[in-house]
Amino acid sequence: MSSFGQTASLPHALGVRSKTGSGAWVTTREAFWIALEALRTHKLRSFLTLLGVVIATATLIVVMSVINGMNLYIADHIANLGANVFIVSKYQWAQGYEAWLKARRRNQPIRVEEFEFLKENLSGYKNIGAAASMWSDDNSTRYQGHVLYNAEISGDTPSMIDIGNQKVESGRYITDSDYQHESMVCFIGHDIVDEFFPSVEPIGKEILVNGLPFRVVGVAEKIGSTFGQSEDNFVQIPLTTYRKYFAPRLSLDVNVQAYDAQQMLALEDEARALLRARRHVPYREADNFGINASQTIMDLWDRLMGSIFALTIGIVAVFMVVGGIVIMNIMLASVTERTHEIGIRKSLGARRRDIMMQFVIESVVMACAGGGIGVLLALIVSEIVDHFWTSTVPLSAVLVGLTLSSAVGLFFGIYPANQAAKLDPIEALHTEN
Amino acid sequence: MSKERDGQTIMETQMASASSGELQAPGDGVVIKAENLWKTYDMGEAIQVHALSGVSFSIDRGEYVAIMGPSGSGKSTLMNLIGCLDTPSRGAYWLNTHLVSELSDDQLAYIRNKEIGFVFQTFNLLSRASALHNVELPLIYSGMPQKDRLEKAADALRKVDLADRMHHKPNELSGGQRQRVAVARALVNNPSIILADEPTGNLDTATGEEIMGLFERLHQAGNTLVLVTHEHDIAAHAHRIIHVRDGRIERDERVD
Repeated sequence: MSSFGQTASLPHALGVRSKTGSGAWVTTREAFWIALEALRTHKLRSFLTLLGVVIATATLIVVMSVINGMNLYIADHIANLGANVFIVSKYQWAQGYEAWLKARRRNQPIRVEEFEFLKENLSGYKNIGAAASMWSDDNSTRYQGHVLYNAEISGDTPSMIDIGNQKVESGRYITDSDYQHESMVCFIGHDIVDEFFPSVEPIGKEILVNGLPFRVVGVAEKIGSTFGQSEDNFVQIPLTTYRKYFAPRLSLDVNVQAYDAQQMLALEDEARALLRARRHVPYREADNFGINASQTIMDLWDRLMGSIFALTIGIVAVFMVVGGIVIMNIMLASVTERTHEIGIRKSLGARRRDIMMQFVIESVVMACAGGGIGVLLALIVSEIVDHFWTSTVPLSAVLVGLTLSSAVGLFFGIYPANQAAKLDPIEALHTEN
Repeated sequence: MSKERDGQTIMETQMASASSGELQAPGDGVVIKAENLWKTYDMGEAIQVHALSGVSFSIDRGEYVAIMGPSGSGKSTLMNLIGCLDTPSRGAYWLNTHLVSELSDDQLAYIRNKEIGFVFQTFNLLSRASALHNVELPLIYSGMPQKDRLEKAADALRKVDLADRMHHKPNELSGGQRQRVAVARALVNNPSIILADEPTGNLDTATGEEIMGLFERLHQAGNTLVLVTHEHDIAAHAHRIIHVRDGRIERDERVD
């Protein structure tokens, strides 16, 4: 019975062990030390092992960054037709090829009379305007021997300045008087100024647009570029002048600005109903014109990005699994290689979970290092992409990348770590490496 | 928490065994008590090999015991049992009041950590770690915070006269120095016994004598030493020799 007293002293001794409280932390720190040591001694091997995870993480982050960058861009530039603006034009944008082929046969150009009709009959819009333009390599703009072939030449109503995202920097926009008298005046973008009038006041100068002389009456504020396409490379003249000299029957884009976002849909519907009535489109038939808004572009954009992202997820998943298997393989090799060490550690009192922890942490640290390298690579690639196009690395992408790679290390590290933890200490000690 | 759970199970196991009444736990002053230990290996086809067939002995605190025997005598098996690296097929083994023969893997690891200091023939140091870190290892697995750990490990190295070699790696040390690091590592957790397996086997005679001198000092300081060897000269340093042959104790003699 006296032995009871002695055995009872045991939990007390154990209590001392756990009272330090930092037991798990101490062995975990040792595991980190071993993991970093292993990475340090096998630099090349570790790097090759991690290539899969590096590529997977980098791919994920770069794609997320490019999509993110483009989203910001789209929101900023393309979708910004002006606040609460929709455009009535010959075609509906962003539709499938089949639909477009049909529309090409059926749709009618928007006429000036139709613009006037909408202007008269639409109820309660903030602004309405029309513009016509034609992209053509034959377009030419000249000033004293300098020639520009790629400027966008358009005919606009005076109200267009209040609708789009252009602002007058100096001079004035096209006026009602210009519009009525088919004046030979133009309002030019900043690229034209940079090209023709780098050090001269452009207002009052005369430039040749497709061979005809136009007097510069105003200059627009600089806008910037979208996907490398400058938004400042334009010459705007009165719509009436444009129709008289360049393209009398060209379809118009009628820009309608609503007072607020809530009014948009109602106004679009009204415009559609008016135009269908005027054109006598039968009840069952589709519109033979298009009504476009920022939302049209955003919808298409979201669909497109959704597919790209889904594809990326698939590719990244494959990379990650391959990377994980490579890590598992190298960890199994590492366990075999360090069997003797495991024996030593076990003889000194390492428990299964200590050994398990050691190898799992090594695997996670390795995968996480791969993720880290992937992040750096992604930052570099993203920077380069941003130079030519657009890319902004969101913090969430970095976090997702690191978390995912750690998770892969954890998942694929468990099996080898368990193999190590299961080793018999005697056999492990007798294994010579 | 989990560590306490280990302890809890150890206690419960032992109480269960003690209450079964068949086994008599050792009294005070006894560090090791082995009762009728058997170790049997199944070699398949109903062939059984008895590495140990009914070994009983006990070792008191402060004793310096050599276990001697030729290869194949079962002394390695006995050493594995004493060192809690293995459990017997039959019989009971107490180490400092823990009934080791009934314990699980992790409980054995705990006992090895707390109660046993190993000194191996091949030193078994981690080659990539410094002497200091090697000595720290048992303290790491007992969960001691770094500050206390470094202090204790440095102390242990000082005891074996390696204070100036703490930050050297094993491959920068001589054989004798390596074995002294191993001795420091064995000492650092204040174990109940120091278990040395052919500690001079990889050393030249002079260095071997130096290590045996160190063991004598540890013995004088009150440590319990168990030495496993096949060499008479080495066994002669101990104060008691247990001769093992064919899985049995052949002779148990005191030397003075």
